[in-house]
Amino acid sequence: MTNKLDTVLQTAPRPIQLMTHVVAGYPDWETCSALVQTMARSGVRLLEVQLPFTDPLADGPTITAANQAALDAGVRPEDALKWMGEMAAALPEVAFLVMTYANIPYAMGLSRFVDACCRAGAQGIILPDLPLDEPEGTYAEEARRQGLHPILVISPDTPAARLDFLLPQASGMIYTTLKVGITGASKDLAPASLAYLETLRRRTQLPVAAGFGISQPEHVAALRGRAEVAVVGSHILGLVTRGDISAVEDFLRACTSL
Amino acid sequence: MTLPRHFGPFGGRYVPEMLVPALDELEAAFLAARQDPAFNKSFDELLRHYCGRPTPLYPAHNLTRHLNGCHIFLKLESLNHTGAHKITNALGQALLALRMGKTRLIAETGAGQHGLATATVAARCGLGCTVFMGEVDVARQYPNVFAMRLLGAEVVAVADGTRTLKDAVNAALKEWVQHLPSTHYVLGSALGPHPYPTIVREFQSVIGREVASQLQTLTGRKPDHLVACVGGGSNSIGLFAPFLDDREIRLYGAEAGGRGPAPGEHAARLQGRPTTGIVQGYKSYFLQDEHGQIQGTHSISAGLDYAGIGPELAWHFQQGRIQFSAISDDEALAAYQLLARLEGIIPALESAHAVALAARLAPRLPKDDLMVVNISGRGDKDLFITARALDEARWRAFLHSEVHRDQ
Repeated sequence: MTNKLDTVLQTAPRPIQLMTHVVAGYPDWETCSALVQTMARSGVRLLEVQLPFTDPLADGPTITAANQAALDAGVRPEDALKWMGEMAAALPEVAFLVMTYANIPYAMGLSRFVDACCRAGAQGIILPDLPLDEPEGTYAEEARRQGLHPILVISPDTPAARLDFLLPQASGMIYTTLKVGITGASKDLAPASLAYLETLRRRTQLPVAAGFGISQPEHVAALRGRAEVAVVGSHILGLVTRGDISAVEDFLRACTSL
Repeated sequence: MTLPRHFGPFGGRYVPEMLVPALDELEAAFLAARQDPAFNKSFDELLRHYCGRPTPLYPAHNLTRHLNGCHIFLKLESLNHTGAHKITNALGQALLALRMGKTRLIAETGAGQHGLATATVAARCGLGCTVFMGEVDVARQYPNVFAMRLLGAEVVAVADGTRTLKDAVNAALKEWVQHLPSTHYVLGSALGPHPYPTIVREFQSVIGREVASQLQTLTGRKPDHLVACVGGGSNSIGLFAPFLDDREIRLYGAEAGGRGPAPGEHAARLQGRPTTGIVQGYKSYFLQDEHGQIQGTHSISAGLDYAGIGPELAWHFQQGRIQFSAISDDEALAAYQLLARLEGIIPALESAHAVALAARLAPRLPKDDLMVVNISGRGDKDLFITARALDEARWRAFLHSEVHRDQ
């Protein structure tokens, strides 16, 4: 069976794809569903669904607060995956990716987690705090066996020797951060980030997704030709937190029309 | 050369890739420093002339007579500069930071003792300093907050999650990853991603080495029983480390039993059916719900109020090498008063948990046995908690008069 992530990236109608992000159940299920529909309508074909966790180590204040709010509202991993399954069935043109932190799959059992993601229609799994050189790194093999891409997250300071270890095990795409830090909207993209993308592209045949700090349509435009995917997370979540769903649509349309 | 990354199935380095180079750099710096006589010399000299090492091993005759059991000795880590064992590790890591060319230290703190120690060595070494402390702890450990600011540190009150030690660790890790080139994260407990648990144990194991030689001098013997309180575990692993291979020596850890066994009411991770998890960069036992969400904790002592436990201690628990017991808030408060009245020593509320466990164990042990209890810190920092708990009317009257003094 072909993986939808591959299909999206191979038949890219635009020079760059957008990958957006939602925290499952935030701010509530109804708004979250509407948000996903809006994203799909605005041309988004890659969508990251974060299962909320109490201690989201790589996330800045916007996403951390959304995780806490979702947990306070009682969102459980099973609920999140069930909801994602419904969204994936309703939006077959979108490749859904599950993102969360290691303790959630570890508590569920890694195999059960991969099965559950698969059944919920996920095309990939992103676990930023579960490196491949720890014993539970075997989840990656398990995911691949079930046709899911385990997506590695690297950063501009990942040394060459570490890349030599990581890149051969990557599949689907390489997700790189544009800065060394945590998630969050930035005013500018550093020229060094763009230069870094060029060196990364010389090292891998896989599509590159670049994120952390993207908050302007101009940022997305600047990534064209340097990455296949621009990841927009905190900026959109910030609009959602302010209750401005229509601004999300405007922003996404501006990103895709530039 | 590298250090072992796991303790049995525990420990590891479960972090986003962007922290990996910094942790590699730290491990390399630590390994090089350990081989460097100049580093060891300056560390030892500062421990002696600045921190006040060796700390006394005090034969607690009154407590021994009172409990009518084995002989009890108190390791007075409370007499270190800044009032707790924490400064040993903070100093060691500050010297590592200087070797790595860092200009700023950051730290998490619960009770404030590690934050205070870090702020102190930062001042001594001419380094910048920011300390992350949960809002709940800022409110209940004000004397340390004031002292840290006096020493020139910035104290950031963390409002995320449970607003205690766990959230201070998260905030410090997030700050670190945004300032890796300039900043060293001085982790204060024997936990977090590799190599922290090993580095903290190595620096703190001076406690156990001093105990071995002091007890030899005092009695000509080795200890039979060692008792320490266990939050993350730096004072306990520091005391236990040199004795782990000697199976004749019994090791006991006191966890925070808080107000009782209900979820959120305690920080006793190893009672009942402990569950493993992967949180804050390491695998260990964590208080969590069935879905892997980390639970709230409670302890009267801020330093034990933490949902996880150092991975090396988790391993020794699983192997049955260390026995862990839960001590309630009330038992800790009673032990706090007992030690004050009997020996003229006011322990930190954390250390009072160890005293309470010793009081439980000693009466049942042979009179000839030797027990060492680690008094990891002193109790003045706990004024706002203990004065309210033990002498509420006079404490409130004092606060009231303070507020209205200039009006």
